[in-house]
Amino acid sequence: MKQVLHNISLYLSFLKISLKEILIYRVDCIVGIFSELVVEGVSLIFIFIVFRNTDNLAGWNFQQILLLYGVTRISLGIVGYCFDGLYDIGPKYMRNGDFDKILLRPVHPLVSIIGASKEFVALTDFFIGIGITIYMLIQLAIPITFLLIFKIVFFSIVGALIIGAINTIFSISSFWTYRSNEVIWSFYRIYTFAQYPIDIYNAFIKIIITVILPFAFVAYYPTMEYLGFNKYMIYLSPVVAIVLWIIAIKLWNLALNKYRSTGT
Amino acid sequence: MSIIKVENLKKEYKIIEKQNGLFGYFKNLIKPQYREITAVNNINFEIKKGELVGYIGENGAGKSTTIKMLTGLLTPTSGKIIVDGIVPNEKRIQNNRNIGAVFGQKTQLWWDLPVIESFRLIKKMFRIPENEYRKNLKNFTDILNLEELLEKQVKNLSLGQKMRCEIAATFLHNPKIVYLDEPTIGLDVFVKENIRKFIKEINKEKETTVILTTHDLKDIEDVCDRIILLDRGQIIYDGSKQSFKDAYGKYTLAELIVSSKPVNCKEFVHSDSFEIIEETENKIKIKFKHLETTIVNIMNEISKYCIIDDIHMKEAELEEILKEIYKGAYKK
Repeated sequence: MKQVLHNISLYLSFLKISLKEILIYRVDCIVGIFSELVVEGVSLIFIFIVFRNTDNLAGWNFQQILLLYGVTRISLGIVGYCFDGLYDIGPKYMRNGDFDKILLRPVHPLVSIIGASKEFVALTDFFIGIGITIYMLIQLAIPITFLLIFKIVFFSIVGALIIGAINTIFSISSFWTYRSNEVIWSFYRIYTFAQYPIDIYNAFIKIIITVILPFAFVAYYPTMEYLGFNKYMIYLSPVVAIVLWIIAIKLWNLALNKYRSTGT
Repeated sequence: MSIIKVENLKKEYKIIEKQNGLFGYFKNLIKPQYREITAVNNINFEIKKGELVGYIGENGAGKSTTIKMLTGLLTPTSGKIIVDGIVPNEKRIQNNRNIGAVFGQKTQLWWDLPVIESFRLIKKMFRIPENEYRKNLKNFTDILNLEELLEKQVKNLSLGQKMRCEIAATFLHNPKIVYLDEPTIGLDVFVKENIRKFIKEINKEKETTVILTTHDLKDIEDVCDRIILLDRGQIIYDGSKQSFKDAYGKYTLAELIVSSKPVNCKEFVHSDSFEIIEETENKIKIKFKHLETTIVNIMNEISKYCIIDDIHMKEAELEEILKEIYKGAYKK
């Protein structure tokens, strides 16, 4: 436990130093925030267009869909910033041999890698998510209690950890390919399905986003709880997060050992 | 008591046999042909605490592979490594606390930030106690002249400045063992000397064990007591620097400054154990083998014919000796 805490505190130190590094490049930050806003805008326009043609999706109305969207954005914003370093393993560390440097530190390489996340502009998502969530809670006349705020904060972090673990698992591909970032990215795209009520999909997609890549536990089941649709599934989210992280770290270590014995 | 113990260490790699032409590249993509090479072949050595060891050999001799196995970056194919009681590839992170490493020109510092920020993070990473950190920082700053560099961004430093900071960063947590892989590559003479001085001082003060690989034999000459020479994955010499020279160094050169010398000394002096290779009016250059005679004998002989005012000795340089060894090795 003490080791875990030390790792988390080191992770935060790494993140802080990375933030200092990125803040030096002011223009990059502004361009980054701008492009985040464009992506955000397109997704929202898409939802607007859908609801011009129908007034509900699998029983969810416009405001409820937007609440799901907002809650999703909070977690995605956290992931986008805090776990962005995973994308760098193949194209950056492996390609130019910086991976050895990280292996020589007295910490698990994942702490160093995730700590080197610099996509601080992804927090744009996070703040937009908070904005939309609060606005929709008001629109839906859901009382914003202290308990609800606590739940949203807690389960958004759990949600981010779920995606982080899934991305970590796919980052293992970096031991074989420099283009591991594309592998992570393509599986991460599947998340798009979990931004809408899963009842609109067939069984195949349902199984994928609830069991194989359990993205539904990030925001979908929590939002169902906030809306009073399903009271219990939300409590599986932390379990899913813990199990996924155990699997991710075990597999990662296994691949690392294999990598060290072949020596590329 | 040895701090590093290596027994029957072996590392084999599988490498893809490259084929020529565009067609060959596609063939590689679909059905690669592997070839096995033995980078390190059954080596044994022990290193005591506080030793300064030069680990040398030509490119591809297996130096870096050995260092990578010692640091736990690579798992040996077979054999045993124990570093300060730990098997590095099994307990890599624990081993990392005891060691420091510099790999050529790869930097462990944070590129965009002032040097001191990297030092602070290293302090946190290795849990260096505050007073220890302060003491080291001050000491290192003095020896390596870092004062004006600490607040500068790493990317704005020159190669020499960067390497000085790098070396400081490596020793900051009082590692018991430091691996330096080509630390002086591309540096000017003053920086090289500065770094050598630093290594020697820290070694003296803290008994840090240092393993140094380099192509600049001046580094070895200046810093190391012991040489391990590697050739095609095998150790061909392991012993003190002096006995290395004695065993392999063919000649010593002596330059005698003389007066009232007859016109041609060569005519008078006849000896099998040394040879006059050059002489002018007041200078005689002599080449001799260490094992066959001593400078005293030579002086006795020469002083029969003239007065010796001064004498300069020049030992065969490591570099010359190595060239000879390599030439010999290739003839085999």
